[in-house]
Amino acid sequence: MHYLKFYSIFSTKVLGKLFVLLVLCSASQAFAQKTVTGTVSDANGTPLLGVNVLIKGTNTGASTDFDGQYEIRAEDSNVIVFSYVGFEEKEELIGSRTQIDVTLTESAEGLDEVIVIGYGAQLKEDISGSVSTVNVEEIENIPQVGIDQLMQGRAAGVSITKNSGQPGSAVSVRIRGVNSITGSSEPLYIIDGVPISGDSRNIATSGRSIADGGLGEGSGSTGVSPLAALNPSDIASINILKDASATAIYGSRGSNGVVIITTKKGKKGEGKLSYSTYTGIQRPTNRIDVMNLPQYAELQNTIGEIYGLNEQIEFLNPSLLGSGTNWQRAIFDDALMTNHELSFSGGSEDINYFVSAGYVDQEGTVIGSSFDRITIRANVNAKIKDWLSAGISLTGSRTNEEITLNGSSNGIISLSLLNNPATAIYNPDGSFAGPTTPDEIAFGLRNPIAEALSIRNDLRRDRLLGNIYAEFKLHDNLTFRTEFGGDFGNNLSDRFQPTFSYGALDRGTNLLSIRRENNDFWILKNLLTYNNSFGDKHDLTVLLGQESQESSWQGVIAQDGDFVSNDVPILGTGNANDFTDQYQGSSALQSFFGRAIYSFDNRYNITASVRADGSSKFAEGNKWGYFPSVSASWRLSNEAFMEDFDAVQNIKLYGGYGEVGNQAIPNFAYGARLNTISTGTGTGFEFANFANPDLTWESSTQTNLGLDFGLFDSRLNTTIEVYNKISKDFLYQLAVTDFITGGNSPGAITAPWVNLGEMENQGIDVTINYKTIRDTDFTWSSTLTFSHYKNTVKELLGDLTINGDLSLNQSNQNITFTKVGQPIGLFYGYQVEGLFRSVDDINGAPVQFGRPFEDALFSTTWLGDIKYKDVNGDGVVNSDDRTVIGNPHPDFTYGFQNSFSYKDFDLSIFLQGSYGNDIFNAVNRTLTAANSYYVNQAPSVLDYWSVDNPNAGSPRLARNDTPNINISDRYIEDGSYLRIQNVTLGYNLPASTIDRIGLNKLKIYGSIQNLYTFTDYSGYDPEVGAYNQNALLLGVDNGRYPSPRTFTLGLNVEF
Amino acid sequence: MKKLLKAKLILVMSALLFVPSCSGDFLERPPEDSYSVADFYQTADQVQNSTNHLYSRPWFNFITNVAWCIGELSSGNGRTWDPRNADFTNFAITGQHNTLTQSWESLYAVVAQSNTLINTLPEAVSGDVPQEVTNNALGEARFIRATAYFYLVRIFGSVPIIADNTEYVLEPVVPRNPIEDVYEFIKRDLEFAVANCYSKTRGSNFDLNAKVSSGSAKAMLAKIYLYEGDNAMAYQLSQEVIDSGEFKLYGGDAADGDPSGSYYDLFLTENDNNPESIFALQWGTSGQYSEGNGLQSLFAQSGVTGFSDGYSAIGPSIDLQESYEDKEQDLRYYATIMDPGSYYPDLNGGYTVSENVDHQGTNVGIKKYVVGNASTNGGGGEQSYPNNTYILRYGELLLINAEAALKGGGSVANGIESLNKVRRRAGLDNIANPTLDDVFHERRIELAFEFEFWYDIVRQGPEFALNYLANTERGTYNDDTTPPTVTSETYTPNAEDLLFPYPSNEIQNNPALSEPPVPYEFE
Repeated sequence: MHYLKFYSIFSTKVLGKLFVLLVLCSASQAFAQKTVTGTVSDANGTPLLGVNVLIKGTNTGASTDFDGQYEIRAEDSNVIVFSYVGFEEKEELIGSRTQIDVTLTESAEGLDEVIVIGYGAQLKEDISGSVSTVNVEEIENIPQVGIDQLMQGRAAGVSITKNSGQPGSAVSVRIRGVNSITGSSEPLYIIDGVPISGDSRNIATSGRSIADGGLGEGSGSTGVSPLAALNPSDIASINILKDASATAIYGSRGSNGVVIITTKKGKKGEGKLSYSTYTGIQRPTNRIDVMNLPQYAELQNTIGEIYGLNEQIEFLNPSLLGSGTNWQRAIFDDALMTNHELSFSGGSEDINYFVSAGYVDQEGTVIGSSFDRITIRANVNAKIKDWLSAGISLTGSRTNEEITLNGSSNGIISLSLLNNPATAIYNPDGSFAGPTTPDEIAFGLRNPIAEALSIRNDLRRDRLLGNIYAEFKLHDNLTFRTEFGGDFGNNLSDRFQPTFSYGALDRGTNLLSIRRENNDFWILKNLLTYNNSFGDKHDLTVLLGQESQESSWQGVIAQDGDFVSNDVPILGTGNANDFTDQYQGSSALQSFFGRAIYSFDNRYNITASVRADGSSKFAEGNKWGYFPSVSASWRLSNEAFMEDFDAVQNIKLYGGYGEVGNQAIPNFAYGARLNTISTGTGTGFEFANFANPDLTWESSTQTNLGLDFGLFDSRLNTTIEVYNKISKDFLYQLAVTDFITGGNSPGAITAPWVNLGEMENQGIDVTINYKTIRDTDFTWSSTLTFSHYKNTVKELLGDLTINGDLSLNQSNQNITFTKVGQPIGLFYGYQVEGLFRSVDDINGAPVQFGRPFEDALFSTTWLGDIKYKDVNGDGVVNSDDRTVIGNPHPDFTYGFQNSFSYKDFDLSIFLQGSYGNDIFNAVNRTLTAANSYYVNQAPSVLDYWSVDNPNAGSPRLARNDTPNINISDRYIEDGSYLRIQNVTLGYNLPASTIDRIGLNKLKIYGSIQNLYTFTDYSGYDPEVGAYNQNALLLGVDNGRYPSPRTFTLGLNVEF
Repeated sequence: MKKLLKAKLILVMSALLFVPSCSGDFLERPPEDSYSVADFYQTADQVQNSTNHLYSRPWFNFITNVAWCIGELSSGNGRTWDPRNADFTNFAITGQHNTLTQSWESLYAVVAQSNTLINTLPEAVSGDVPQEVTNNALGEARFIRATAYFYLVRIFGSVPIIADNTEYVLEPVVPRNPIEDVYEFIKRDLEFAVANCYSKTRGSNFDLNAKVSSGSAKAMLAKIYLYEGDNAMAYQLSQEVIDSGEFKLYGGDAADGDPSGSYYDLFLTENDNNPESIFALQWGTSGQYSEGNGLQSLFAQSGVTGFSDGYSAIGPSIDLQESYEDKEQDLRYYATIMDPGSYYPDLNGGYTVSENVDHQGTNVGIKKYVVGNASTNGGGGEQSYPNNTYILRYGELLLINAEAALKGGGSVANGIESLNKVRRRAGLDNIANPTLDDVFHERRIELAFEFEFWYDIVRQGPEFALNYLANTERGTYNDDTTPPTVTSETYTPNAEDLLFPYPSNEIQNNPALSEPPVPYEFE
């Protein structure tokens, strides 16, 4: 255990000096003065930050804090001028008052908003780094349970793909390309000040996915979203920090970008009670075409001959057969989804509150999968003294998930495609049906319905996430804020495999595996902020901060089995040898940082920050990393010489450079550990890993250049940003050769983590926004986001090639490779030239994989086999002829939001898509393998080559050792798509009507999510993502759980 | 004003006081759920247990997935239609074959674990631990490393000799070394083990027999000399082992026999580490994947194991079935192959083989290494059973003795007696004047499904091997006729097929594997 030692970062001496300085400043004030305080807010009651508060005719001024509050020394006769960019200036004579609250109204060209940046907030127009804001209104009524999914297509440079349609599953979020190879490329989320990693694989902590359910490696796509605990309806703003000058203040954890999520606060005024609800039906979008029974029988008859198997008598006359079992129809079903949300909010002068409760229940479209969540939230902020305010934001949640095995060759989705239509699902007595003959047992597949319905894999996650702070106003310009945040989670994962017997298959022993896991995270922050305006033109904000954070985890896995029945499987009641395993660990970070933001005359802004992080991940001497940044902006439109130029408005040029770090690797990678295992001679102590005491921080530097401008009286606003991001010394688990480590073998010594090579992402992000002036019955606004990046691996140790392997049909296949000079994770395999159709094709052709050209059913190359290209021209086709066959990186991705309103109606249409990326369709590979018995196939396989069908579209049928299924461009498809992601039509009941029934607002709406996808991709869904968030397996479709189409009807009421 | 300031100051200070320490401790997070290498090897117990893992998990993939593919499928003792493994029968293995890659990885994992222990112990062991304890552990590790290299050199031929993995962790290009050097390396390891491992006498407390001894190393060394063609040394060492009385033939009738057992009993889990065992892998009972023996999952038919494994992945070939001299008389048949309808009283408390048992079209099943469900077999779980896997046992040592003697290495009379001890234990009659062919045949039957036959064929030389392999019946029975007829399958290998290719990815990562072997620099 780590005991806490108490100490102070700023010695009393330093602090003392600081105060003397401040006191001296205040002493220059005249003594006839009094203190005037107040709050500045906009027309909606939202507090405004950074409003200039100036005594007219003097240089004395202040500015408002995050809660819109100011404090100034003045005389009764003074006039205070409140000015704020984008708002009309306002003057107030003080008189006898000591409190003056002001409401500012937006000026005509009022476009400005406050953007939450790291450890503070800033006016959008002043920001010199790259920050994207997701418009929360636009995502309000969309039936997605996770906030990560909602961000899709909403911000340029942020690419979001759902890895699975499984409710609650993880998504991959990539901010400006891929930054790390084996580490996580997921961004850091800051939820009300509490950092949460987006990595569903938990690389940096326990190293165990939350939901592996004891299935172990290669068990398919099982990542669950770390953000599933958050209720999207509670969110007030989402800001995405993309470039290093913006994220450098998050130093150690900012290399993949930072998403800052702030939850709702109560607003001043009468309390509000809102209720919203929706109900939806999710419907599977499309099915993949597989053979019906007569087609299948025809195939079996031919393959059986090749295998030399006894004939299946019932298939002698295929035309007499019915259509057989449609497994897909049986596993995919319409699924219900409901959501309820109740919130209370309000506020007075000194206190505001927001309290909410939410419930969502989502069935999965694949039988046996579901997700439900209960959340409660309380946000309270209070001004306790005029120099002290405090607040808390707290959310508790419970999610329950039923998980099916998917994204794997023996997952339910693959099994439903491949299972033979001759087998029934159920026997007449209601029990599950299965194979009966010895051949069928040897070759047949398991019954996916029986698998889905009998194996239970449940995950319950409880989570408490919150933050409490106190803010002291030490002086007019100086505040000190201390904040304690925590994220405490508890996961219960239960997996039970009952005894079963169907057909001749028999599992006589049942097995229960349970896992109990606690994750604790806490963070303590101390921030000192100095803010002052000098004269009319200078504005300075200085931040000094310190942060300590600790993450700890512990878990227990226990197994028992051989229970007398399947009814009450409880640990300790079974006859099997009990098995238990325990794991625990912790990591810590200690940080110091500072930032200065200086702006001059609303024209120039310069920001500089530096952060030092100490990490427990590295050995003594390598623990500390230093991350500086600098950025600047120039508001061209505010220059005097631009006064007469009004064709283009709000021109801002900005740029920055910064460095950020990454330390998201397992603990103690710098040292060597021993694994304990059970052996026949007692406990064994295996060497777990190779140590690397030199291991140190991965750093990422990024240069960003941006241009903002408006046209047509600022109705059309454009942001263009270009960037160059270089990840240096990126952390990688270097598995050079299997004969040093033992490769994937049990008992292998894990390769060392090293700082390896360099990777570059260059790109451009464009956002174009158009909106009509809101003074007619009809309004329209559109936002188009466009992103392009180019990823290049610049340096890897030596001539190293990194392979991306995936287990397909129980065989480990090398699908991608990564080399210097190329993007990460290119598809790698053979090129197909066509089929050998005639003896002429064979004459002189390169020998394929050492197989002689010979007319035999198997082990040879003969007519009807695939002709692979001899890429290196050495006269034979072998593994040296593998080459790049596809690129999973898109040329560009885009999102297009359109909102229309006419009187009380509003309509929103959101389109989103990707262009130019390739997908490796592993499902199609299995479905067209044409080499196995008792396995269903795509109908195209029936067009196989034979002497009678020389112009066939598919290769000849073969035994399972055929090279026809080698990884090749046969399985590469264009993954471009355009998806109508959401269409929502809403109707607000007119105020006159709802007033009578005592409501503030009543809105009903209907929406369709995932309405239609334009694509040439033949699989279920072109949005494939990174397999288990693995950057080396981008765009690999291995039986992905397809995203459903969802129809919802909803209601929002406000009292 | 000043008062207020003071109050604020106190508040700020007290807030700051809650900052936890940034002194070294806060950022120091050693593992909490495992030992750090630097803190282990402090007691004799820890050093004794430091070799436990070398007898189990790193071997898992090799034994479970590959050893029988090479030893039995390629040799023609077995056959399969299985998608992953038919290539071994057809001589269609390429460097991309995943199963083959598993043998490379698994055997080098054994090497890596052994090396790391060999290089760590001398520095890490506390001075309180008696020297002989450390030396014994080092001897065991070198014995096991030698065994792994022995498989590697027989499967792949010339391979890189790695003695210290840490030297190469960041260095991708490592040359391979000549076959002779690999054998030399193996012999030096075994000689070290002979000199440093404890001497033992295998008694009735089987647990004490689990780990290898000085005698085990001598026995393994005899086998190495036999492979090298040094028959005199092979004979001498094997005879020394026989004379030492350390091991017993389980069910043998001579002075070195143990009448309490039998050939059949060798393969019961309860008889693990019986006195015949020279080196056997020691699997755990945890039931966790890779901690137990996975062979039964592949060898058994559905329903035997109590779990959903039992894949019947290989069937005894027609060729093997027909090579038994007399299935009724030879006790080894019943212990190796399951005939339809035969009864096994010990298996799952009594098991009758189904009449339609038909592994891969051979009309029979496999018995050897099929041990039954967890409740009658001392625990385990799916694909993870506790029964030992033999790497070398006394029965084979006797055959080594016989072969070395008949090849002129020593007393022919002793050699013939060694052979006949094995035959008599199997219920067969003595052969008065056996030939080398008789020894070859005896090895095939005695060690069937113990993964030796492929190496036995190949070491006879390419001329014999290519001819023999091409004429092995690997077909199936066609049951549509009565009696069943043979649907014949034979495959003709070429000379390159007698060694297996390096995994393609390894050549890609280490192009030196395509270069000529470089002599190894012995210390």
